[in-house]
Amino acid sequence: MTTADRTREAAANASGPQPSASPARGRPTPFAIALAVLVPLFVVLAVTTDRFLSLDNARAILASAAFVGITAVGATLVMVAGSAVSLATSQTATVVAMAFLATQQLGLATALLIALACGIALCAVQGAVIGFWGANPIVLTIAAGFAIGGAATWFSGGTPVYPDARGFETLNSTWLGLPIAVYVLLLVTVVAQWTLRRTTAGRQMYLVGENRAAARAAGLPVGRVTVVAWAFFGACTALTGVFLASFNTSATVTLGGTLTLDAIAAVLVGGTAIAGGRGSALQTLGGAVVISVLSDVLLLRGFSTGTQTLVKGVLVLAVVVAVHLRSAGSRR
Amino acid sequence: MNAPSTGQTRGRVQVRVEGLARAFNGIPAVREASFTVGAGEIHGLCGHNGAGKSTVVKMLSGQLPPDRGRIVLDGEAVELGSRQAAQRKGVALVDQELSVVPALTVLENMLLGDIDVPFVNHRRRATARARQILDGMGLERISPDQPLSALSIGERQLVEIAKALSQNARLVILDEPTATLSDVESAHVFAAIRRIAATGRAVIFVSHRLSEVLELCDSVTVLRDGRTVGTTPTKDLSVDELIVRMLGEAPGRLAAAERPDADLGHALRIAELRVPGRLADFSLTAPAGRIHALAGQLGSGASDVLRALAGLHPTATGTVVLNDRAVPFRDPVRAARSGVGFVSNDRKSEGLFLGRSVAWNLVATRLPSLGRGGVVRPRREQDAVRSLAELAGLPQPRLGEPVAALSGGNQQKAFVGRCLGRPDVFALLLDEPTRGVDVGGRAAIHRLLREAADAGLVVMIASTELEELLELGDVIITMRDGRVVGRYEGDANGSRLMRDMTHGVEGA
Amino acid sequence: MNRRWLSRPDRLMPASSLLIVLAAFAASPLVSGRPLELFDAYNALQGFAQLGLLALAIGITMIAGEFDLSVVGTYALGSMVAVSTGATHPALGVLAAVAAGAAVGAAQGGLIARLRIPSMPVTLATYIALLGLTYVMSGGLSKTYPNSDATLWVDQTVAGIFSPRSLLTLAAFLAAAAVLGCTRLGRELRAIGGDRRASRVAGVQVDRHLVAVFTTSGTLAALGGALLGYSYASANPDPGLQPLILAAVAALLGGVSLAGGRGTPLGLLAGTLSVALLAQIVATTALPDFSTQLLYAALLGVIVAIESPGLRQLVDRIRAHRLERLS
Repeated sequence: MTTADRTREAAANASGPQPSASPARGRPTPFAIALAVLVPLFVVLAVTTDRFLSLDNARAILASAAFVGITAVGATLVMVAGSAVSLATSQTATVVAMAFLATQQLGLATALLIALACGIALCAVQGAVIGFWGANPIVLTIAAGFAIGGAATWFSGGTPVYPDARGFETLNSTWLGLPIAVYVLLLVTVVAQWTLRRTTAGRQMYLVGENRAAARAAGLPVGRVTVVAWAFFGACTALTGVFLASFNTSATVTLGGTLTLDAIAAVLVGGTAIAGGRGSALQTLGGAVVISVLSDVLLLRGFSTGTQTLVKGVLVLAVVVAVHLRSAGSRR
Repeated sequence: MNAPSTGQTRGRVQVRVEGLARAFNGIPAVREASFTVGAGEIHGLCGHNGAGKSTVVKMLSGQLPPDRGRIVLDGEAVELGSRQAAQRKGVALVDQELSVVPALTVLENMLLGDIDVPFVNHRRRATARARQILDGMGLERISPDQPLSALSIGERQLVEIAKALSQNARLVILDEPTATLSDVESAHVFAAIRRIAATGRAVIFVSHRLSEVLELCDSVTVLRDGRTVGTTPTKDLSVDELIVRMLGEAPGRLAAAERPDADLGHALRIAELRVPGRLADFSLTAPAGRIHALAGQLGSGASDVLRALAGLHPTATGTVVLNDRAVPFRDPVRAARSGVGFVSNDRKSEGLFLGRSVAWNLVATRLPSLGRGGVVRPRREQDAVRSLAELAGLPQPRLGEPVAALSGGNQQKAFVGRCLGRPDVFALLLDEPTRGVDVGGRAAIHRLLREAADAGLVVMIASTELEELLELGDVIITMRDGRVVGRYEGDANGSRLMRDMTHGVEGA
Repeated sequence: MNRRWLSRPDRLMPASSLLIVLAAFAASPLVSGRPLELFDAYNALQGFAQLGLLALAIGITMIAGEFDLSVVGTYALGSMVAVSTGATHPALGVLAAVAAGAAVGAAQGGLIARLRIPSMPVTLATYIALLGLTYVMSGGLSKTYPNSDATLWVDQTVAGIFSPRSLLTLAAFLAAAAVLGCTRLGRELRAIGGDRRASRVAGVQVDRHLVAVFTTSGTLAALGGALLGYSYASANPDPGLQPLILAAVAALLGGVSLAGGRGTPLGLLAGTLSVALLAQIVATTALPDFSTQLLYAALLGVIVAIESPGLRQLVDRIRAHRLERLS
């Protein structure tokens, strides 16, 4: 085939912008405009609220973001690696909480280790089935939720689980006015962020989440990467379970509460895409804090929990749409 | 056998294509295409890659508007704005991108999207009509109530053709319908096409398989450089003459000078590699230093050899040894770890990570070597990126941009470059290494491959581009229908390769 | 009913699960110690009425290759709207609820179709928002429904085992079966779920169908919620995630695949009946709570295993290995 034919074929197959143009420069995208308008509005709204600008309030915001935030940071890795979401989070936290309280007599450290091992094991198995066998995460985690919830019900016999020792109380203490959970949240965020950005496993998570087929063809260990992401998520869920147990001093089957959806909401508000391949732990921390701030402002202004939830839903929707439009635009 | 179809009426012309032209971004893909197809005629359309065939087909089926020229159907000049508009005007297209859904039954697929089908199902009537059409195509054994997923790829192709028939088209265009079919299935397709023509419809048959074209079609139009070179009745043509028309005045070039085997370097030994349904017994010993090129069209098995070696065919069997160590080629992770580097033929969906930067893509497969204990060292990464970009010829200032923003040629350079310069890669396998790449990019990639071979890597490519095969291939192996047809070392020319790829084994 | 008709997974699954559950139901006296009464069947069908419209709603979106997480929110919204507005005229309350559900569904469908956003995050966000809305509407507590006549009417026994609620639910399934089975919509819906690209190429109006699908799921969920509100004489602003999960299980048992392209309303009917009967069996035999959960886990686990591409590849690999060994 002649060179002319090749040029023609290349031109006919060409798609995407020409080398010289770049979609990032030039006219601002609708996303940027929306951001430029809404963020200052939000800030003004917050700042003009009574009692918002106080140290106590700042502490309250961080504290209320902590429990969900820890799990959400873990869930970020799972979403980045392309496994979307887990619908078994609440049940996992509940079971870990029960295990933690039931083994208190072995000492705080041991109970903590057992709790972590429990969470990691439960989630790593799910990650293995999803990573190596390509199982659908939704159906699998629903099944896992039933299994884990059933195990929790059986273990507790329907009654609350009470601890035999009080070692966990140290986890409820505060330091510099902030509960320990907040520091754990920050630590977990740092570790997760570092893992995603600076380790081979983290990088591979982004690649697998972005395009699983390409990752497989390139010989990347898709299964192993998925397991690592889920194991980390399991550890984070376990930490939340431990804190919930300490806070409530007893564990019932409903301890997990709305953790499943709250964690997903925080990740989505942080701007991580559900399709995978994008996002970061810092973004999720931001998402958890933004949700917390929003609830706080509404609370201070006298709105009910219902309104807070409603606004939270609208916020998630807005961010999801914005993130999707932005990524679709840059790829065109 | 060049028997024309029976019952044709040469009087009234069904389809006339006059002066079609189309350019992309200023580069003309089709300069001037003109031909006529009579009612009841099977008209072949041939041309090598890039001659403009697919663009002409897209214009005829309504997917692309022509820049110039017009299409006349039964005396009426038509403007086809979309595939649906084309359907309404009576043009049906059967192409590689199947529009049949595996989850539905055969009958449901035939009814899907058909504008003439009523809202409420008339099951008995529809089944009877489908049965009639299937029988008319010789497909008595396919039941309309079968799920399409139960049929082979060839049978699905036949259902796609049946679907076109049920839409009462005046013109049926078939684009490479037999590329992935077995001989038996192809025979069914031909029989179906002959029956279509016998009813008075016009058929345009686009194919690389020249012997099939000559056997089936009444006349053939050859495209070259975006222009129609001429229309000839097939009874006046032989395969070799057809090839000459397609390639122009220069029928072939000698391969590059004989190259001595590199002493150092690796060797790949393949024995009885088999992929059920795609590749029969393939054996080859490929030492480093010489580039081995597998020449074969879609469905020939050339691509499957490389994919099987890379671990993407879990059902492959055989023995593969690289540097005296067996390659576990049923798993892509383990195959990669044993030193196989693979570049697929679809960089967009199975190669690059389009949303990520060029830098990320370049180091995607060597992350463990950029640090220690699983941690990536930014400094080492930057160095690796910079040196790779230089090696591959990518502009340094653009390394931070998403790779989707690069031109096709640069994207391919990044894709190929990803496998270079790695001490743990011993064999480089590339499927269509310069697909969708312009002249300059192609030369650059060829240079990279030659350097890799000289540096001691085993380099194997699969390609359908004659120029590329002749330029790069120190050893050229032609393939068709999952089998090796011929082997050339320095004595290949374009027409011989073409013949092997399209005609296959003599007498087959 | 020959063997080939039954061999398709979207028929085999619901048929076999319903048969097994019916057999277990018939055998439950062995464990409970007392014979089956008409009341047991009535209870089971009441359970079916509670879950049915929700399962049909989510099932239809799954057939189209999507997943509507918000059905539970629309369910709660329908309940709240009906209870709030239907005190004097129950029918108007139902109408208002249905209108609200349709509006929510249409809005979601528009977003998902036009902007080509995956359905899960959008419906999740809508679910959270709807949860907030119902809280705001009710002030966080359950809202009571004063019209006791309507409450008694929806649950009165009809032919011994039915009630207007269960009959209405059954009618909805049959209507859906008629529409999807007897018109082109059925195959177009499955095409969209099975292979969206090919459907577009074939000329199916994908966007329009998606909007219609989500509008339908919103409408059905709201209707279910409205009837439930009348039945309980109160509207719960937060029924939790459990109804959604049970509806998804019913859909999966009914032969619908999460990948899309497979499933029929009759299959969904069988799946929902299976779940309802299972709940009734647990109630009559007084099995411990966790046993149902473990049973569901096992059932879903099997479905997951069957549908994993990786497992199929493993089987293919083993088979190829064995063939190679022989040759």
